[in-house]
Amino acid sequence: MTPPRTQPKSAPVHVADASPEAIIEMRGVVKRFSNAAGEFTVLKGIDLTINRGEFVSIVGKSGSGKSTLLNMITGIDHPSEGQVIVNGMDIYSGVSESARSKWRGKNLGIVFQFFQLLPMLTLLENVMLPMDYVDMYDFDERPVRAMELLKLVGLEQFANKLPVLVSTGQQQLAAIARAMACDPPLLIADEPTGNLDTRSADTIIGLFEHFVSQGKTIVMVTHDPSLTSRTHRNIIISDGELIDETISRGLPQLRHRHMLEFTKIAERRIFQPRETILSRDASVDYFFLIRSGEVEAVLKKPRSKETILAKLGKDQFFGDVELLRGGKAIANVRASSKPVETLMIPRADFIRVMEQSPITAEAVGKIVQKRLEEHRMADPRKSKRAA
Amino acid sequence: MKLVKPMADFIVELKNVNKTYSTAAGDFPALKNVNLTVNTGEFLGIVGKSGAGKSTLLNMINGVDDLSSGEVVVRSRGGQVSVHDLDEDALSLWRGRTMGVVYQSFQLLPMLTLVENITLPMDLAGNFKPRESRERARELLELMELGEHAEKLPAFISGGQQQRVAIARALANDPDILVADEPTGSLDSVTADHIFEVFEHLVSDRGKTIIMVTHEVGLESRFSRCLTLADGELVTDVEADPKPKRSRRK
Repeated sequence: MTPPRTQPKSAPVHVADASPEAIIEMRGVVKRFSNAAGEFTVLKGIDLTINRGEFVSIVGKSGSGKSTLLNMITGIDHPSEGQVIVNGMDIYSGVSESARSKWRGKNLGIVFQFFQLLPMLTLLENVMLPMDYVDMYDFDERPVRAMELLKLVGLEQFANKLPVLVSTGQQQLAAIARAMACDPPLLIADEPTGNLDTRSADTIIGLFEHFVSQGKTIVMVTHDPSLTSRTHRNIIISDGELIDETISRGLPQLRHRHMLEFTKIAERRIFQPRETILSRDASVDYFFLIRSGEVEAVLKKPRSKETILAKLGKDQFFGDVELLRGGKAIANVRASSKPVETLMIPRADFIRVMEQSPITAEAVGKIVQKRLEEHRMADPRKSKRAA
Repeated sequence: MKLVKPMADFIVELKNVNKTYSTAAGDFPALKNVNLTVNTGEFLGIVGKSGAGKSTLLNMINGVDDLSSGEVVVRSRGGQVSVHDLDEDALSLWRGRTMGVVYQSFQLLPMLTLVENITLPMDLAGNFKPRESRERARELLELMELGEHAEKLPAFISGGQQQRVAIARALANDPDILVADEPTGSLDSVTADHIFEVFEHLVSDRGKTIIMVTHEVGLESRFSRCLTLADGELVTDVEADPKPKRSRRK
């Protein structure tokens, strides 16, 4: 149910504490739907910041809430709770539907899976439509600008054709030209390649990369892993909640539900420069993922200088060897010269999930193997024992 | 037995229409010497397999694509035009007034409400004053039994409802002819049935002529007349009631 909105209704207003770098800020966004079966919550308190100039993909299984999340940004649907700030403006509080519609026309370009070109208008006319709708650019300038955009997407020669006479890939390119008609800073795309062959999809992502290089921000929902690898950031939504991006990058083979479980149970801790995180031979109770900063795994030989076994940075992990191969730390681990932010997963939870997730366990196991090799070569105690 | 309608009643006439596509692999004849007369008030189905030339035939009728040879004549609102003699601008204007188009994918603008989606073609054509166009859009939504959803965005109604909005939009400028290419192609059978009922109503109560293409089998009996197209040629031409009128099988 949509809560009553503050009166009077007017255009979106600037939010005083909005981050200047952010183009999208979602704060505690909840979306509930009611139907005959009762009420259910599709988005369960989403906090998300997307910065200007980022190329972001959003993935999630069917029913995870990814389209609803996108609908909150485009204003197709309204949050039940929380705040959505786009380009510094609160787009919901006290904003009328028509004011939001005008605002959207100038600030957002939107691309849909099924293109949504008007069948009775030529490609050129379709591209001109948003300029007419929000009354941007001089009347004479509109066809010129539309033609430039069609040229940019490689459709100049089809400008006067109706959509039905061009391929689906070309229809989507025209839809992208239309989305950019009013030169918006932000492009939102909902499965833009979902209905296209690989080659057309590749052209479209190339075009998106071009827009990003020009300073635009692009947020794209997709289920195609070959596309997510080309974005700056990949956000995973599972069961209406966002997965911590350090967890999804550090342990990409995990199932979404396990990633979400880790997101919920992970303890966040910051270590100061040079602070010891694990002491050699002490028991290890957590699996650590590095959110920012760098750690050093160090072996101290008696009467000699210490050896730095490894330096680990953002999205890498440690504690794995100990948790999977016996409980004691095989080296000292400390923060390097800057503070380190970590996510800590309790031992029992980590081991349980590894048992349920053989693919991740195998991937982590390979890293464990490699680290043990490195350790064996560097550890004076073990080489002595071997001798 | 049905009376043969006088020639004056025709609304669309195709004379020796040929369409050949040039491809890298050579010339491909999509339509071969098609002769066809569509009468006012018919609900004409054009069936056939994928690639038979059905959509090409529709594109010849509404002038969306050029023909290679032949002529298409359409009578509407007391006038008669040879469609392919019109220049681009005149054709677009004529089409907007004469023919409504409905496709398999509804292509409603997601950011506009249903009533705005239907108002749009009226505003673009400028045939109605803004207030009239809004009232008319509401009437068309009522006709489609969607009046209560007028202010909703397309995302919040079902696929079948969206297709009815697309039909309402196609009727916005009150065209005499509705051209529909696989309009039920992405709908389940119950929903598709509802679309047929809407079309039947438009023909019987609103005097529209509907030309609909489908590759689905078993729908022949729903049309007042049904043509079968195969390899670019008309092979059968059947009036629904009571028996086949004639056959053109070669």
